[in-house]
Formats: sequence, structure tokens, C-alpha cells
Amino acid sequence: MSLLSNSTKRGSVLIVGGGIGGMQAALDLADSGFKVHMVQRDPSIGGTMVMLDKTFPTGDCAMCMISPKMVEAGRHLNIDVHTLAEVTSVEGEAGDFKVKVKLAPRYVDADKCTGCGDCEVKCPKKVLSEFDQKLGQRKAVYSLFPQAVPNTRAIDASQCLCLNDPDKKRCRLCEKACKAGAINYEDKGKEIELNVGAVILSPGLERYDARVRQELGLGRWPNVVSSIQFERILSASGPYKGVVQRPSDQKHPKKVAWIQCVGSRDNHNANPWCSSVCCMYATKQSIIAKEHDKNIEPTVFYMEMRAFGKDFDKYVERAKNEYGVRYQRAMVSAVREEPGTGNLLLKYAAEDGKLATENFDMVVLSVGFQPHCDAEAFAKTFGIDTNQYLFPKTSPFAPVRTSRDGIFAAGIYQGPKDIPETVLQGSSVAGSVMALLAEARGTETVEKELPPETDVSGEAPRIGVFVCHCGTNISSTVNIDEVVNAVKDQPGVTYVTNTIYACAQDNQDMIKQTIREQKLNRVVIASCTPRTHEKLFQETIREAGLNKYLFDLADIREQCSWCHKGQNEVATKKAIGIVKMSVAKSRLQEPLHSETVGVTPACLIIGGGIAGMTAALSLADQGFPVHIIEKDNELGGLVRNVYRTLEGLDVQEFLKDRVEAVKEHPQITVHTGVEVKKTDGFVGNFNTALTDGSTVEHGAVILATGGIEYQPTEYLYGQSPNVITQRQLEKTIADGVNPAAGERYVMVQCVGSREEPNQYCSRICCQDAVRNAIAIKEQNADAEVVIIYRDVRTYGLREDYYKRARDLGVIFVRYDVDNKPKVEQAGNRVKVKTWDFMLNKDISFDADWLVLSTGLRPHPTTDQVGAMYKVTRNPDGYFLEAHVKLRPVDFPSEGLFVAGLGHAPKNIDETVTQALAASGRAGVILSHKKLAVSGIIAKHKRELCMSCLSCLRVCPFGSPYIAEDGKISHNEVKCMGCGICAGICPAKAFQVNNFRDDQILAMIDAAAESEAGVVN
Amino acid sequence: MIVGEQKPIDEIWGMVKDFKKVLVYGCNTCVAICHAGGGKEAEIIASMLRMKAAQDNVDMQIDNAAIERHCEPEFFEPLDEKVKSYDLVLSTACGVGVNFLADRLAGTIPVYPGINTSFYGGVPEAGFFVELCGGCGNCILHLTGGICPIVRCSKSLMNGPCGGTDKGKCEVSSETDCAWYLIVERMKKLGTLEKLFEVQPPRDWSTGTHGGPRRVSLEHIRAYEEQEEKKAEGK
Repeated sequence: MSLLSNSTKRGSVLIVGGGIGGMQAALDLADSGFKVHMVQRDPSIGGTMVMLDKTFPTGDCAMCMISPKMVEAGRHLNIDVHTLAEVTSVEGEAGDFKVKVKLAPRYVDADKCTGCGDCEVKCPKKVLSEFDQKLGQRKAVYSLFPQAVPNTRAIDASQCLCLNDPDKKRCRLCEKACKAGAINYEDKGKEIELNVGAVILSPGLERYDARVRQELGLGRWPNVVSSIQFERILSASGPYKGVVQRPSDQKHPKKVAWIQCVGSRDNHNANPWCSSVCCMYATKQSIIAKEHDKNIEPTVFYMEMRAFGKDFDKYVERAKNEYGVRYQRAMVSAVREEPGTGNLLLKYAAEDGKLATENFDMVVLSVGFQPHCDAEAFAKTFGIDTNQYLFPKTSPFAPVRTSRDGIFAAGIYQGPKDIPETVLQGSSVAGSVMALLAEARGTETVEKELPPETDVSGEAPRIGVFVCHCGTNISSTVNIDEVVNAVKDQPGVTYVTNTIYACAQDNQDMIKQTIREQKLNRVVIASCTPRTHEKLFQETIREAGLNKYLFDLADIREQCSWCHKGQNEVATKKAIGIVKMSVAKSRLQEPLHSETVGVTPACLIIGGGIAGMTAALSLADQGFPVHIIEKDNELGGLVRNVYRTLEGLDVQEFLKDRVEAVKEHPQITVHTGVEVKKTDGFVGNFNTALTDGSTVEHGAVILATGGIEYQPTEYLYGQSPNVITQRQLEKTIADGVNPAAGERYVMVQCVGSREEPNQYCSRICCQDAVRNAIAIKEQNADAEVVIIYRDVRTYGLREDYYKRARDLGVIFVRYDVDNKPKVEQAGNRVKVKTWDFMLNKDISFDADWLVLSTGLRPHPTTDQVGAMYKVTRNPDGYFLEAHVKLRPVDFPSEGLFVAGLGHAPKNIDETVTQALAASGRAGVILSHKKLAVSGIIAKHKRELCMSCLSCLRVCPFGSPYIAEDGKISHNEVKCMGCGICAGICPAKAFQVNNFRDDQILAMIDAAAESEAGVVN
Repeated sequence: MIVGEQKPIDEIWGMVKDFKKVLVYGCNTCVAICHAGGGKEAEIIASMLRMKAAQDNVDMQIDNAAIERHCEPEFFEPLDEKVKSYDLVLSTACGVGVNFLADRLAGTIPVYPGINTSFYGGVPEAGFFVELCGGCGNCILHLTGGICPIVRCSKSLMNGPCGGTDKGKCEVSSETDCAWYLIVERMKKLGTLEKLFEVQPPRDWSTGTHGGPRRVSLEHIRAYEEQEEKKAEGK
């Protein structure tokens, strides 16, 4: 029973797995009124993404992107993270589950541990690091990686000298080193019971163990590494500090080979499915390797280049043309070490079938994903069905629902996928859970009670400075006493002290008490890093009644003691400079008050296709009124011409069902034959006028404008009666027209895709072709089907159908874009001529039907809608999301979301996923009565402004605008505090709170005075 | 709007390095909007010069200031005394401002230009300026579809394109549109193409820069001012 409503549903959710997908779901849910329990088997959350060096195509550091999310999840008041934990049983039903969780002993009291790592320094036992893929070492007391969340250590019982001593008398060095008294060798672990309304499974997958494939030499030849090992090699924080070198002799390799599909697409020796991500990570790794060391010559050995995602083909083209990455289409059959050199000899068949042997300095095996070894038991624990490969059973129409009501699956566990799609599914399960548990929203979450803020306006600064030792992290390099003495007489400073751990609970209490006793009105803490601790300390001073923006963190660990280890004198000097800078800024700090704005709890969805309808139903089930704006006179969009999914499910039935559900739902208003005329407003408060004269007030917008099919002009389309599109063939099949024996269908792929000016993969056409081919062959095995393709992109579990088509006798012939098939009419048939790579000559087929796999284009209204909502489109005309990896349904401006083909070509299951994700993201906003605006925003001084429009033109969020008087004004609600306006404004009319020019200049002056930064 | 572009810092340094006390003087109108010589840019230039002076061990004082406009005397008045205490004024106003201030200081202190005054132009997007008017003093834009052949045609031709027009581009640069191509296309759309068949006689350039310095005098305003002055004298 919930506490506040009569519902029997619980307002809390269990998430199993703390990778990027699980974290996204957790944050979306916890930010929208649900209590989240996150259960993670490892000692830290993070999953696979934390091990990656960089992500493509932006080259962003993976850790830098995921770390803030981990910190946010770790600190969230309504997310409980249970690490070293596993679920042992799940009872009950959707809305009310009882879950038992077993917590393994950590031997470190996480409440006492401050994460300083002194224990680790003293621990004598070295172990190969799992995180560094055994290329580096860790200690027996360890954290998985430096940015681990929770920020605490764990003792590896299998390695610890003390725990392996029957009397527990050996060693105990970590216990002696720990000043916080957090080590507990007697920890027995525990079992807890949780009551939750829904369960989300995002435990990830494990990587294929390539040692099984002995012919490729992993574990045998030292210079053969797995792709995840290569990620660690590339990483600046990895075992080789980002220097690309060979494990055997630390030499810089020149020729490096990537071997694709190791453990994937191989139903004899490994896994039959395609792991979806390896083509792109190999491309990324070869580019990054080249960026690290320009002498590297990368070669990627591959079967098919599956660059099916948004802008993936462009990235591969860049790899080829700008970085000189060589792509060799071949499956390597053997890797042998050349005696004496450590080099590797690769044997493969070249495109013309001739055997070749080539010498490389280093080999990277692109290993795929597979379900965890205990996947069967895992599924049993949760009572869900799996497919034959032990992936959870889901449907393309409900891709995140498992067979058990109330239990959802997300991320790569649901099927191989990359980071953005994992994040999408995170939001997507969140949206589904919000719909399921709508009435219990807000029943189990807590809010913090805070004392009223002390009014310090008009007071002279009374700054308190706390200099933290961070155990020995800072104090072993920086002389803390010197820092304390140097800061004492700085103007405005009334109190200075040092502390072993500023973040330890007792010291937090000490800081609060000091604020009251010393009547401090500004606080500077010189310690570790704002990345993990700024918010914590802001809360601390807020609890003592100070406005949280009266705090500043002087980073003397990560930007000083760590990077100047062993240079104690200069490091101390620099630390003094850093603290003086903070003090100078602190003197000029003002209390900032966050504005709040009300939220209209309704959503406008532009587009009534599958994306729009799915998002509408999910949001309506969450209890929010939804308006669907459809330009056509009926709902359905492009999917009206689609009959079957690749799996054979009836799309028309699904469509009919969705249309009916939408029409019947009391919360949904459908506006057909209508377009958006004008729109205004900002997150929580949009006002949209429609062409029928009505207006809609809404708090969020989902752009689901959809796409259209390319109308071909090539290959005699429109000229010959024998030439049709894949969609037309699909309709014929659906109409029950049976193929005759000997009737020949020749299909040509990539018509209107993957070449300039449409250099992108339309993603659906390979599956369309395979599905239609299978249907023809199943109806009449004597009909002939030939598919002329460039790369068959049946990624993920879709690979099964590619195999099935081949098994049924469908002939696949590859063509090159520079030598496309030639078509001519030959009586009542068409003759299709194409190059055969093995025969080394042209072959031709007389076709009864030439079937063109035509690509997708964004809907023509995309541009107009985009301009109206001020969201950008990519060069291909698709909406550009806020961040290609971590914000795949958001736009830079808050309150706007994207779903479906308007974002990029995708299959139905992916459209449904993205629509659910958009509903989850929109649900986060709509569930709030009020939205708080950050205090760190740009302030506009209108009297200084010349209305030069520079700010209006560069602001990514559209917060400056031309007001009714014709001059620039600033909407602070839209402002995200990025400061671009302040940088560009020639009149200095914009100043960002807490980063004002006078504050920055004061900091520079302070730095100049103390000659900080002079470190050689 | 007048568009200007900052001179390279080395060139500026060459101009100022022999002075002891320099004021970088910004103008907060046109050249501020084009990010060339407003108060902010004056501050940045002054700061860069101070750094340069420190690097080269040159002992000099460099300050900065800015006023609303450098083309009207009243704006200068509040800072006149301060300005006179310097050895050199580096003006970041347009050429008008440099002239105006130099006249005002009447040879007591030199005024040097910190920016190059480029043209009269528009700002189609942030950080991008295009020349659209030559200030010739005798506008014919009604005859050419609103496209000025004097500055937008490389040869300032008045009766159609030259032989160097190439698929809508100018022979001077493939990035420059042929103004006459644009004019013809625009006039077609306006349905006034036939106007182009009227031959334009040789132009009287005396209204442009070829007839000596130009003046504009609004008699009704000047007459009023004189009247007011007389009244004041009468009192």
C-alpha cells in the first residue's frame, strides 16, 4: 500500500544494473517522483561505458561524460545505490513486488569511508586489474576506478592477506592506514528486502572471451589484444597512460590490424548474432590511435561494414579519407607470431579469393557481446522468458517489456546496441514505469527539510576557509600549515582551519557549527574536486542557513597535489595561489536565488505516426493531457504502408490497435488536418497556435514529424513495369499474390542511400529486403531471389533472418558504389548486370521483378517545424539532438524532445523505444508543479545593451529574444548559464552569476600576486 | 552601419611603442557592434599592449576608456581633461572618429587609428559583415532591384554585366556573386526587367568621393538652432 493514495501500487522501482542505461532510468524516475533502488553487482556503478576511452563521433572522453551522471545518481536523495549486490528472489506482481537482495561483504564501512585511498597505498597485495583488463594492477583493497561511485573502497576477500589468514592477524595495514576507521574485516554482508512497484533489468552483457578462438592468438601472442584492452591502452588513465604501445616490448606499433566479428555472426564456433557496435568502435579506435600516434597505419578486417546509425557512414568515410584507415573485406583465418619480432602474420583471403599473408605489429580483436554466463538463472530469478540465446523475450511493438508484467528490460541486455540506444532505452523504461505506476508517483520519495536562509546582504565578507588534507592525498604533497598561514591575513578571511577529511560526516557537522559560531557568511573549502564534492559542500552550508552560492571549492588535489606529486615546494605555492583565488572570488559572491516557474501539465506532440501515438499513449497513461497534431487527415504516418516486421508480426493490426487506443483515451485530443501555425514560450509554459485557429497550452513538446520514402528516379523506375520498390512488393505479398516457380526477383539495395548527397544509411532497407525475400521463398521455394547489396546490415539479433534467407536459397551478390548494377529492359523482363568479385567479371540476371530498396528522407515539414521551435537539423535534414551519445531524445532547449524518423531512419521497435523515451523525458518535466531555474545564469543589463544581436545569434537555448520594443531582452528561464553570451557581448551587458568579470579578474589578480602556476 | 576591423596587434604596437602614456579610446556605437573597437575591445587591446610592454621591458602606461560615439562633440566633453594627460590616443573608432578627435585635439596630442574602417555593411549572421552600399550620394537602387551595382559589382558597371560574369559569379573571385546577375534575376521576379533596357548615361561622380569632401546641411534644423542662439544672446 502506498502511504498517500489508495492505490495498491508502490511508488518505488528496482533497477538491476548500474550502467549508463540503468543510470538514465534511475535519474529520470527519481527526478519525476519515484524512489529508486539500484542494485549493482560490481563495487561501483558505471558498467561498460566507464572503461571506454573516447566515444565517437565527437571524440568526447567517455569518463568525463558518464562521471557527472554517476555522481548525480550516487548523490540523489531518492536513489539508493546497493553495490556488491544481487537479487535473489522476486515475488508479487506488477505494482507490488517483494524483492530480496543479497549484499556481499565490502569489508569497508561505506558510511565512514571518505574515499581518500590511503588504505590502497599501504596495501601490499597487488592483483591484476579487471578494470584495466589485466594490463595493469590494482590492490586487494581497491576501488574499481578512480571516479567510482560510491566513492569508497572494497576489499577483495579472495586476495586480502588478512582475510585469508584464519586468525585474521596478518597484514592489517589498511586498517592502520585508515584514519576514518572504516576497515571492518568482520563484515558479513547482509540481505535486505525491498518493496517496489516495478523492476527494470539492465545488467548489461559480458564480452565474448576471444581466447576460445585459439587461431586468433589472444592470450597466446602478447601483441594480440581484445578491443576492450585496446580501449584501456588508449585511455589516458589506462595502464599505458594513453601511449599506444605493444604489451610485449612497449614498442610503438606501426601497422595495427583490427579483426571484426570475433565471437559474433558465427553460429558454428561462437555467437550467431551481430554485436552491433564493433564496426563503429573499431573505426573509432583506429581514428583515436592515429590521433595518439600519427605513424600508426590501421587496417580493419571486416565482413560487412555495419555503419547503420545516424551519421555513422560519414564517420567511416572520414576514417577512410581523412585518417587513411584501410578497410579490408576479409575474415582472417589465422594469426601467427613471427618468431623473434613479436609481429603477427595474418592469413586471409583477399576479395578476389586469393590467399594473402600480411605482417602486422599489433592485432586488436573486435570482440562482441553475449549474455552473462548466469543469464538463465538470472531470468529464472525474475520469472521472465528468454529467447533461445538467453536474451529477454520482448516484442518489436513493446521492446522494453518482458514476459512478466511490471518487469522491464533495457540496454544491451535487451539486445546488442550502442550507447545512445542504451540511454534511449533507459528513458524508455522510465517512461513505461511512469505509466504503470502513475498513481503512486510521489508517494515514496523524500524531500529535504532546510532551515530558513540567513540574510547576509549588506554584511562585510566573513570568509571561513577549511583546508582539507584528504587523508594524505593532499597533505603528502602540499604543506597544509603553510596554506593555512598564507590565507589567514587575506582580506575578508575571518577564520581558517585544516581538517583531515572535510567531507566526513563529523567534519561536516564541525563546518556547520563553525559557520554559526564564527558568523561566517562565505565559505571556501580547499579540497579534492568540485566534480564530486561541490554539491555536497553547498548542501552543508545551506544546512547551516547560508545561501548555497556563497560557497567556493578550491581544487588543491586534482589540480595540484595529484599532478605535482613529489614537487612539494612548488605544489604548496600553487595551492596557496589557488586558495587565494577562491578567497578573492568569495569576497565578491552574492547570495543567488533560483526562480521557479509553474508547469502546464500537458504535452503537445507533432506527428501522429507510430512515434507520436506511442508517446501520446504513454504520457496519457501517466495522467497528462496530450494533444496530437497530425497534418494528414488520418493517424498512422508512414507505417500505413508497412505490413510485417522482420519477425513476421502484423504491423497493420498493431497500427489499428494504436489508433483505436489513441482515439479512445480520455486524455488524448487528436487534431487531424491541422498544423502548427505559431509557437511561443519555454519549458513548462508553451503556447502553440494551430492552423484551425485553436491554441494549446502545454509544458512540453515532442517533435515526431516522421519521414518519407525516397521516390527513385534510377534503375528504370517509372519506365519499366518490371521495376517496383520494396514497399510495393511488400503490399503484393500482403495481398496474397503468390510467386510462381522460376519467377525471379532481383533486389538492389541502397537506392538513394549511402552516397552523396545522401551519405547515410536508411537502416530499414536491408531488413525489408530480407523479410520480403524470406516471404517469397517461404511461399514458393522455386521462386528465385537475388539481393544485390553493398553491406548487409542486419545488425543485432536481426542477423538470424539474414542467415534464414541464405538457408532458404536467397542469393546475395555484392556491388561497389563505384560500379553499380546496370539495368536494361529485355522484352518483358529486365536484365540486371553486376560485377562479381570472385569471378572477376560481370554477371547478369534476367529479372521478372527488379525491386528497389529505397531509402528514407526526413518529412518535408521537418525544416519548417524545426525553424518554428528553433531546433537545428543536421546536413541531411534530420533533427539534431542535444548530444548524440547521452541526450538522444532531448534538444539543447529544455522541454523539447524528438522521436521517430524525424530524428534519423530507424525500425519500428526503435521508433517505439524512442517514443517511450521521449514520454519518459517529458514525464520528468510534467510531473513537477514548479521547475527551479539554476542560480548560475546570465544576467542581462538592458541599459548597457546595444541590441547588436550577437547573443541572440549564438545562444544555443534561445534565451535572448527581441522584445516588443524591438530591443534585446533575456528570458532567464531558458538560460542554462553556459556564458557564451557573456563572452561575445561587446557591451558587457551579460554577466554570468558567480562567474562575473569582476570575480574572474579578482581571481586573476590574486593569482598574479601570489605568482601561482609557476610550476615547472 | 560602419564596419571596421581591428589592426594586427603588431602593427598597433609599432605605432605606440615609443610613447610613454597611451590611451586606448573606444567608441560604443558601430565599431562596438562589429566587435572591433567598442569599450570592451579597447580594454582588450590595452591589456594586450600592457603585456607586450611588459614582455619587451618597455616602461609605459597604457589605459583605456570609451564613450558612446566619437562623431559628436558632446560625448567627448566629460573625458577631455583626462584625454589631454596622455602622449598618444589610440582611437578604436572608425576613421570618422579618428578625424573628429584629432581635429578636437588640434595638434596637441596625436591620435592614431587602432582599426581599419572597412565599409558600410550589414550583419547577416553573427561575426559576418558584408558591404552593401558605397555611399555615392546619388542612389539608384530603385533602378536595380535594390542591389547596388556600385559596390556589389567589382567594376561598378552601370549598364549590365561585363564579359567576366560566370554562372552567376564574378571573375574577380568565385566567392563573389555577379551583381548584375543578381540584378537581372531580381528584376525578373519583380517583373521590371524592361527597366534595364533604359541606358544609364555616364554618372556624375561629384556626389561621391570624387567631388571633394561632402557635407549635408539640414537648413530647417540649423535655422532653428541659430534662432535659439540669437534668443540666448538677446537675454
